[in-house]
Amino acid sequence: MVASAIVSATEFPQAREPVIELRSVSKTYGAADGVKALDGVSFDVHEQEFVSILGPSGCGKSTLLRAIAGLTAFDGEGLSVGGQPVVEPMDDVGVVFQSSNLLPWRTVEANLRLGAEIRRETPDPQRMTAMLEMIGLSGFENRYPHELSGGMRQRVAIGQALVRNPKVLLLDEPFGALDALTRDKLNFELLRIWQAEKKTVVLVTHSIPEAIFLSDRVVVMSDRPGRLLEDVRIELPRPRDPKSTRTSADFGKYVVRLGELMGVQ
Amino acid sequence: MRGMSRRSTTKGGRARGLLQGVAFFATLAVVWEGSVRIFDIRSYLLPPLSDVIKEVIASRALLWQHGIITFNEVVLGFIAAAISGVMMAALVFFVPIARRTVYPLLIGLQSIPKVGLAPLIIVWFGYGLNSKVIMSFLFAFFPIVISTLGGLAGTPEHLEEHFRALRASRWVTFWKLRVPSALPSFVDGCKVAMPLAVIGAVVGEFVGSNDGLGNLILLATGSSRSSLTFAALGAVTAMSLALFAVVAGFGRLVWWRAQS
Repeated sequence: MVASAIVSATEFPQAREPVIELRSVSKTYGAADGVKALDGVSFDVHEQEFVSILGPSGCGKSTLLRAIAGLTAFDGEGLSVGGQPVVEPMDDVGVVFQSSNLLPWRTVEANLRLGAEIRRETPDPQRMTAMLEMIGLSGFENRYPHELSGGMRQRVAIGQALVRNPKVLLLDEPFGALDALTRDKLNFELLRIWQAEKKTVVLVTHSIPEAIFLSDRVVVMSDRPGRLLEDVRIELPRPRDPKSTRTSADFGKYVVRLGELMGVQ
Repeated sequence: MRGMSRRSTTKGGRARGLLQGVAFFATLAVVWEGSVRIFDIRSYLLPPLSDVIKEVIASRALLWQHGIITFNEVVLGFIAAAISGVMMAALVFFVPIARRTVYPLLIGLQSIPKVGLAPLIIVWFGYGLNSKVIMSFLFAFFPIVISTLGGLAGTPEHLEEHFRALRASRWVTFWKLRVPSALPSFVDGCKVAMPLAVIGAVVGEFVGSNDGLGNLILLATGSSRSSLTFAALGAVTAMSLALFAVVAGFGRLVWWRAQS
């Protein structure tokens, strides 16, 4: 039963174009004989796909995301986003980190504007209004980050990454510092935003339920040095719903399966 | 939220706090006045408070005339220190050669007791305004450099990375990230430097001057007019407090702290 419900990703031919392609990406900190953080990771992320990278702390999953973002150098055969080899951060990629990206001296609205400002562009006011509404912070545009809750701050950070309309959204444990209740709520909001905005998303997380609830595929990584253990397709029907999806029997099976892979059970 | 002391936010609490402060200083004034009279302390040692107040009123023109002189010295010295302090901090932070050459020199110079430099400064720059401005500058300069440097270096790494992800140039990162995140430290440095600038000017006036409140203190003490000494001291203190309040007022514009 489990085997029929959970099938390896490779058995499904992909109709959509790959947007992110990783070919044997490795990373060693320090000299050649230094600490190996990533060891030959290869997978593709297709257009408008939601992929989570799941692994224990220190498995190099954040390093992997930062490599995709063009924020850290890596070895290996190649890594490309939108057909372009990654050598530096790209315009078409938005990044959200765990510690909020927000500048404490800027209001919500001014923080949303930052990306455009850096590019010397005038932000589209309609897009700004729509984004504020999308992240559920209409009426908060003149508040400062310290006046917001942790969950609201992360929503602004997501809005800031999305407002410039990048094709790819990279999320590095964006809800890692939040309490469980807020985290569940924001998971659902992220799903809603992803469906409305039609982005290709890569999420780094160590939360099994979060990865299952959100993703089309979960890439499970081993402990350091990070290797790809398995690429698990999540066949739960969409649109997903916090209550019925999380309580479904299949959801439970994925939890068990991913737990086994991560060595929890 | 980020205040070091707890502030009473209710109206009644604030009024009570004010009352406590007033009561405390009133008590001090009574103790001063009372003990001078009860123990019959000679007035050249410690004049009663009432005499000092009378002196302030009687000599207000004199105090004002000397006060303006000292005020100008302090303000010019402080502004020079603030501007060149920021430039020095930026130089040391952004130019690696400066970090290895100018910065150690700076630390070495800071260790020279600046009071000991005063006679030399008077010899070099004369009895007038310039030498006092330079003394004031010397006292105020180092704290501003050190704290601004700390602010620039303390820019949170995750925000730097965020700016890199947004493909910000070095210049944009400087203006939109480093400067605002260093501003609170710069203001902290200014708060330390402001009273020091006053001390610098007064020390300069002690060592060689024709006017200014420091000069007035020396003259008054020399002619055993203790009440005038105290009045001049009071004027220096009041000026120092007022200037500090101005700096702190500006400081309130940069209320944020960039957490790492």
